[in-house]
Amino acid sequence: MTACRLYTGTSGYSYGEWVDSGFYPDGTHSSNMLDCYIKAFHAVELNYTWYQMPKAPAMERMCEKVPEHFKFSAKLTRTLTHEIQKNLWQKEVLAFRQGIEPLIRSEKLLCILIQLPPYFERSADFRHYLAALLDELSGLPLAVEFRHDSWVNDKVFSELERRRITLVNVDEPDLPGLFPRLSMVTNPDLFYVRFHGRNAKGWRSGSMQKQFDYDYADPELKEWAERIKTGLMPEAAAGGIFFNNHVRGQAPKNALRLMDLLLKKGGGKTPWNAPSFI
Amino acid sequence: MERAVIHLNIADFAVAVETNRSPSLRGRPLIIAPQGSPRAVVYDMSDQAYQEGIRKGMPLARARRLNRNIPVLAPGFNRYEQVMKDLLKESVAFTPLVEYGSFDGHLFLDVTSSGRLFGPSADVAFRLKKTFKSAFNLDPIWSVATSKLVAKVATRLVKPLGEYIVAPGDEEAFLATLPLHLIPGFTKADLNRLREFNLFSVSEARRLTLEQLKIPFLQKAPLIYDWIRGMDPSPVRAFSETASTLSADHEFSNDTNHAGILKKTLYLMIEQICKRLRDRNLHGGGTKLILSYSDGLQSLSTAKLSPSTSNDMVLFKKCVLLLDKAWTRRVRIRHMRLICETLCPPMVQADLFAPETRETKQAALIRAVDRIRNRFGHAAVQTGLTLTGETSSS
Repeated sequence: MTACRLYTGTSGYSYGEWVDSGFYPDGTHSSNMLDCYIKAFHAVELNYTWYQMPKAPAMERMCEKVPEHFKFSAKLTRTLTHEIQKNLWQKEVLAFRQGIEPLIRSEKLLCILIQLPPYFERSADFRHYLAALLDELSGLPLAVEFRHDSWVNDKVFSELERRRITLVNVDEPDLPGLFPRLSMVTNPDLFYVRFHGRNAKGWRSGSMQKQFDYDYADPELKEWAERIKTGLMPEAAAGGIFFNNHVRGQAPKNALRLMDLLLKKGGGKTPWNAPSFI
Repeated sequence: MERAVIHLNIADFAVAVETNRSPSLRGRPLIIAPQGSPRAVVYDMSDQAYQEGIRKGMPLARARRLNRNIPVLAPGFNRYEQVMKDLLKESVAFTPLVEYGSFDGHLFLDVTSSGRLFGPSADVAFRLKKTFKSAFNLDPIWSVATSKLVAKVATRLVKPLGEYIVAPGDEEAFLATLPLHLIPGFTKADLNRLREFNLFSVSEARRLTLEQLKIPFLQKAPLIYDWIRGMDPSPVRAFSETASTLSADHEFSNDTNHAGILKKTLYLMIEQICKRLRDRNLHGGGTKLILSYSDGLQSLSTAKLSPSTSNDMVLFKKCVLLLDKAWTRRVRIRHMRLICETLCPPMVQADLFAPETRETKQAALIRAVDRIRNRFGHAAVQTGLTLTGETSSS
């Protein structure tokens, strides 16, 4: 085993339904959820930075709430991935950089997650845009998540390797056109896995509550634990593992279980709020 | 559990609706104001007009002096109201707790309890924004916070475009650096008073204790004390078609001041409303008639209905008087709206051996007409008044 440091967590942490599911204690207010979350995990993906440009003061306050070793993966704002405006996007990058500055300063940034939309195919226009975007974001730790299978290409992977940019390995349903399940390390500094759930029926429903409603079975998590241990961890100094199947508290449950499996505590079920040793 | 309140705000709402009707006006200075009155004031203006110095509430004559070339459109309140209703329809798909203004482009949604069905509040807000844009070509600013007050401040911050998510627990810090005029609820007099004490920002005002605030603000002090700390327990008041009103609208395809057409239209609207009343076994206890003239001015008249009624003919008799009362100008009428208020169950204790009166005969006739129309459609039988030659369309 190499000295790969794992950061496991979920995509977002502020979900009222996680109180009902038992992950957060009864009566937990949204304002206290991060305090509870950090008892179980060492990292979190910030979803809200996709909806709105991050704002430095809010980031600053968030950094103050978490322990020193805690890391954030900040999703790149939608105006840079889904709603790109030709003449404005460079300014948006600048604003994004300013917004996440407190994360960099406090060394709490795991990476910037560039989640590209399903229609972002490997066309000339999109290739050029992505290259320009990566240039503009250079100097930051970056992880790119493709949702379209046209990006499964050795040239893409070798370019990511050349730039030391992480390819996000995704676990999502086996549907035509979707990026397949891979275990690749393109950046020796960081590998990244996102678990979206395998709900093929709900995936294109247009409702997040259906799309990400999936409870990973133990054999599925065991298979991933093996892949991570043998395929990914030896290749990178650190790894980010995040569960996005937030519906009904399945994400924290599956994340804790995967942590158990990675620690070879395969037998028992992880209780809620169990401390993380990874 | 804190509340999750979404605020959607379509900046310069009236201008947005008008430019959707006339796309050639988009991107140009534009004033919305009634034109028929010498004391008319600016109701709304485009961002470009704002840059020229035009402000809401400014006398139109003064606005014209600033720039004579800016086109002025008469407000179409009925259109704004209809658009608000369309936006409401999309919003109630996510929560029944939707509060909205009649003409102002503001909607508040309380989505605290619908997270399990529709996902995180930010996602609901984002989806609504996309729907408003694609379905109505209206691009709202949106915010998510734990109260209406904080959500409204957040949209004010990003106006005219953008979004703001205020994380639960972050309200005090979020407001701290802001100027006091951004906090809803403060009147000009309040702000002036605070200025007299050299208090300009929220953090400065927070230094005052409640007792100190009571000296200048008396009973309002506790409210102000809470506002500047981001505390606003006021609920999002659920929309319920204002449960006790029914209304009918008619926009004339050609503006008119023809009494026959107006009366015919009025009767048709009364028929519509009374049928709905009878279907719900209700009576109307009051009525309101709003006339919108072609120059954007409106006039209104109201009357109590005593006893309450759902009888077309009785209501028509009342409403003709209302029409005479409201119709005070020679300018042609563009839109007519009839509202039936104070809906209540019929409070009639029928006599066992009631003599046949004019009213009972009318009621029997109306029942018969209803039966025919239910079976063969509305056009199967019509009153003579509505058969007059002049036509108009809604």
